[in-house]
Amino acid sequence: MPIAERGYIHWDGELLERRRPWLPITRQGIRLAFKRKYFKFSFFVSLVPAFGFLVGIYAAEKIQDFKLKIEGVSTILQVNPGFFRAYFAGDFLLFMMLMLMVLSGAGLIADELRHNALQLYFARPLTKKDYFMGKAAILVFFLSLVTVVPGLVFIICKLIFSGSFRFLADYPWIGLSVIGFSALVTAFFSFYTLMISSVSKNRRYTAILLFTIYIFSDVLFGIFYASFRNPYFALLSIKANLQQVGAAFFNVKAPYAVSWIYSLAVLLTLCAVSAFILHKRVKGVEVIK
Amino acid sequence: MSAVIATSKLSKWYGNVLGLSDVTISIEPGITGLLGPNGAGKSTFFNLLTGQLKPSIGSLTIFGEPVRNNSRAFRRIGLCPEQDAFYEELSGWEFLTNLLRLQGYGPSEVAAKAEKALGIVELLADKGRVVRSYSHGMRQRLKFAQAIAHDPQVVILDEPLNGLDPLGKRKLIRLIKDFGREGRTVLVSSHVLPEIEALTADIVLLHHGKILAVGGIQNIRDLIDTHPHIIAVRSSAPRALAAHFVGEEYVLNVHFENSRDSVLFETTNRDRFFERLTRYAAEPAAAVEEVTSPDDNLQAVFDYLVGT
Repeated sequence: MPIAERGYIHWDGELLERRRPWLPITRQGIRLAFKRKYFKFSFFVSLVPAFGFLVGIYAAEKIQDFKLKIEGVSTILQVNPGFFRAYFAGDFLLFMMLMLMVLSGAGLIADELRHNALQLYFARPLTKKDYFMGKAAILVFFLSLVTVVPGLVFIICKLIFSGSFRFLADYPWIGLSVIGFSALVTAFFSFYTLMISSVSKNRRYTAILLFTIYIFSDVLFGIFYASFRNPYFALLSIKANLQQVGAAFFNVKAPYAVSWIYSLAVLLTLCAVSAFILHKRVKGVEVIK
Repeated sequence: MSAVIATSKLSKWYGNVLGLSDVTISIEPGITGLLGPNGAGKSTFFNLLTGQLKPSIGSLTIFGEPVRNNSRAFRRIGLCPEQDAFYEELSGWEFLTNLLRLQGYGPSEVAAKAEKALGIVELLADKGRVVRSYSHGMRQRLKFAQAIAHDPQVVILDEPLNGLDPLGKRKLIRLIKDFGREGRTVLVSSHVLPEIEALTADIVLLHHGKILAVGGIQNIRDLIDTHPHIIAVRSSAPRALAAHFVGEEYVLNVHFENSRDSVLFETTNRDRFFERLTRYAAEPAAAVEEVTSPDDNLQAVFDYLVGT
């Protein structure tokens, strides 16, 4: 190219270094989720069990004050590891977590694919890792509000309402179990949701897929279990696997006669497969071969 | 002056399909036009430049640094993609500020830079409207705004004038030229020669993934001028029109089109032909209705250069 003299004006832009480049993605995602009225409704419904269990803790400690003499209530309202497992691995909370994922997570990557937005992200100082962290942090935020936060609040309330540290002396590991199981459930749902969200440009399709796979895996388990009475079919069900691992984390009897290690392996394998699919699907430029 | 963008034997294959082959080039500050028909490799080149594709072979640097996975380089690059890349439900302001936040600016800087960029592209008055309600021209200008908002040194514009009306084109051309005059490196792709001609005199011609020619636009124009041009003239009196030109030595061929009242002229001197046609059209009996140049486009030049 012939060299032509041109005036050169010194660039006065700034080279900024940031420690958390994913944060704007997270903030934007949380803000957009709360703009959806169905999500807001689901989010508040998913907090209902936490309030119910909180009332349960209070009632368990103050049951003598109320002079409640209802048959059996004292055994139901025993705040022990089983109480925590009932909250964390209960059907309702797992279902509500799924609904939160469907309403807040189905479009996280699908919308970017639909809007060709990935190339704009990746033409900026943002790595793929930052992008995934930003998206996953949205889901982690919502899931934490219905898992680890209520779990720790339960422990604190139990100590306050009982007026002693005996509960912690009896179960010193309960805090770690709450944090550990919350982390596992959150990680699993985040990987699962992001992976499904990346397989299509259509948010509705990914929402249906998220819901269907979860429900279908449980239905499949039900059918096989009813036919063969073999508990190992529980490994087919996402919900059953989460409940098995939940029971192990809270040191209570597992609902199915299968080692929780297998269930954990299934969940971790699903996370690994999701990570692989995500890595393959999320590219700045769609290359059609 | 040192090269801002430098590539060496840059090649990219998509499986068995060749995207770009053996491109060695240096691009300096100012506006450079990347010309080529659809499928020539322009977008592949841009995707390599912005680090979104990994080269199969060869190297690529911007300001002496490799681009891929180099966030330092990305801070100095602005990309305006060919396709629309909007969240339709966001307003122009939200779209721009969200992207600026990814550059690492704080809230006040984001607002100031978004305001400035929207001002440059004359969209300030419409910043609160959702992108869905924007016209095509406004969308193109918004895309340009997001490419320049973070004050990049290198701006890459992939077919920025596509589908714009003449007024919209003129506005955007002015904006791009202003940006180039500031000493930045602007790379603009197009498959339409006059669009690039309006922007810059420095061009890179791509064809089938290879560099066909690099140089001043005048060279390309010369190629057109030494190659016969085809000019179609529609008239209600086509035979009288043909008779008027048939004696001229620069008219090589005259062909009547059956379906329309058009005459196709093949001429070696387009300027003289148009001069004569203008005088003829001014005559009361001329009845010239339309003049088009079916081969006055890049494809014709390419066909000539590659000998097809």
